[in-house]
Amino acid sequence: MAIVEASASPALLEEAGQGRFRGWLRHLELIFPGALLVLIIGGCFVWPLVAAVPDPVGGDVLESNLPAFSEGHLLGTDPNGNDVWSRILYGGRASLVVGVAVNVLGLIVGGTLGAVSAHVGGLLDAVIMRVLDVLIAFPSLVLTLAVAQSLGPSQVNTIFALAFFSVPAFARVSRAATLRLREQPFMTAARLSGTSGRRMLFRHIAPNITPQLVTFSMLSMGIIIVIEGALSFLGLGIPPPAPSWGNMISQGQQALSATPMLVVWPCVVLFLTVLAFNLLGETLRARWSGR
Amino acid sequence: MTTTEPVTDDAREAAPGAVARLVHSPSVRLIARRLVAAVPIVLGVSILTFIVLSLIPGDAAQLLLGPEATPEQIAAMHRQMGLDQPPVQRYLGWLGGALTGDLGNSLVSGQPVTGELGSRLAVTGELVGLAFVLSLGLAIPVALLAAYKPNRLFDRVSMLVSITGLAVANYVIALLLVLVFAVQFAFFPAIGFVPIGQGIGENLRSMLLPAVSIAFPLFCFYTRFLRGDLVDQLRGEDYIVTARAKGIGPGQVLLRHAFRNSSFGLLTVVGLNLGTLIGATVIIEQIFALPGIGQLLLQAINTRDFVVVQACVVVFAVVAVLANLVTDLLYAVLDPRIRYGNR
Repeated sequence: MAIVEASASPALLEEAGQGRFRGWLRHLELIFPGALLVLIIGGCFVWPLVAAVPDPVGGDVLESNLPAFSEGHLLGTDPNGNDVWSRILYGGRASLVVGVAVNVLGLIVGGTLGAVSAHVGGLLDAVIMRVLDVLIAFPSLVLTLAVAQSLGPSQVNTIFALAFFSVPAFARVSRAATLRLREQPFMTAARLSGTSGRRMLFRHIAPNITPQLVTFSMLSMGIIIVIEGALSFLGLGIPPPAPSWGNMISQGQQALSATPMLVVWPCVVLFLTVLAFNLLGETLRARWSGR
Repeated sequence: MTTTEPVTDDAREAAPGAVARLVHSPSVRLIARRLVAAVPIVLGVSILTFIVLSLIPGDAAQLLLGPEATPEQIAAMHRQMGLDQPPVQRYLGWLGGALTGDLGNSLVSGQPVTGELGSRLAVTGELVGLAFVLSLGLAIPVALLAAYKPNRLFDRVSMLVSITGLAVANYVIALLLVLVFAVQFAFFPAIGFVPIGQGIGENLRSMLLPAVSIAFPLFCFYTRFLRGDLVDQLRGEDYIVTARAKGIGPGQVLLRHAFRNSSFGLLTVVGLNLGTLIGATVIIEQIFALPGIGQLLLQAINTRDFVVVQACVVVFAVVAVLANLVTDLLYAVLDPRIRYGNR
């Protein structure tokens, strides 16, 4: 969805900051999602190191299904007696690591593929684009399901499975951005002054398409985290007992009427994380599109 | 492809002049060009699926016969399933069947896949169709109202709702809906599917929660998209200035001028979504236990029923390609420049 969304208008953000609060609001667009992300990332990666958080696995069955705010268990425990708060934090690590890794893979492989394809053009471009067309017409969830199923559920395999989804998407964005660059006078100047192909790619194209790719990767982070959740939910992502937001939701769904909060907590953090990435992506896009 | 050919054949017998007109008509040429471009994509998808599936470890025979099966038994099962032939031969055999509408027999049940797909496709089609009706039916009026007076309260609220809603995964919505409407209040059945034959009211009741789960993120996305595009059009386009200068009221300018132009962008997005959505129904059908094509696919992947997986994926790809084709056709309907070939 982010591919098409990239063309949507950032008018809202542009108009939001009129009048007296303009400066303040303009920064709020960055401050709010940024602070949210710092909180989430800090909570998942730093908090368990500095504060005493119970283990996310190996809980005591005698302590199962404790309500929130029980002693020693901020959000209570799940049916296996594991601390929910701790599972949320460690599950967030899994989601964020998968999200970042998939995006980095997409950015490097897809970004390079798209830029080279657009820059070289001709037969290579045609071949690469046809292959990408096939990958895009191929239902991405199906492909990730097949890869996850064939390699077996694990965090690394989830990353590879999701990379099939991110690489073509990044390649498209990068190709479109490179094609737009070709019209620019400085590119003609570089070509006329005999700049080598590699230098063109690294010194002229790469710095200019990076902002768009980074913006896209913010929006794609949200999508990747959601799909990772879906894979884990279907039992094809990160395998329990290791926590991930997706498998926590899936586990909680089995006793939805008895202990609904077990589903609600991971849903809330999933939502907040995706919201933060989306808002940041939107803001960056609005700013970098020069409006 | 098969849909356009009979038309031209009939027309050729009727009047030679009509044929020439039809063949040279830009719309027909556009369709033909798109169809020709679609063939390699569908072929590529089917080949890719075939390769991916042959790389997946584990096979249906092993799973069917259980862990105690002897290699001889498995080999016999493979012969029965036709899995002992070399992959290229198997693919060509499959392709030949697929072109005549025979997608093979399920490795697990032995039933023809084509019949199974038909009934499954109806369920998924209803789900997706309902989701599109709900999302577009709400998004268009909301976006029009928001764009009518940008930055007023309604606009602000609708934009806030839509950007927040975009961050909610459809399976999260599905579970929350189940929690509220099925578990707490028991308004709707939590899971299960009532065929349309057993009364349309009951059928809709069983379909509403799944359809809303898919429709809500779409609604948010379309509202944002359309509102943004409308505001862009209204702000700077020359034809809007002309329309206003002619004395046309703001409502008419919005509806007849700006919306008509913005509908192209919306159409493109809807067309692209249709292709990806049909894959996203997998998880929703799983949550609500709907016997759709997504559920079939997931089952087939789990039982290594490659014939069924292959058929599902090809159906998804064909639907995605057809959706893009229909989008192109609607462009021609909406835009006279395309219809008259003045591009």
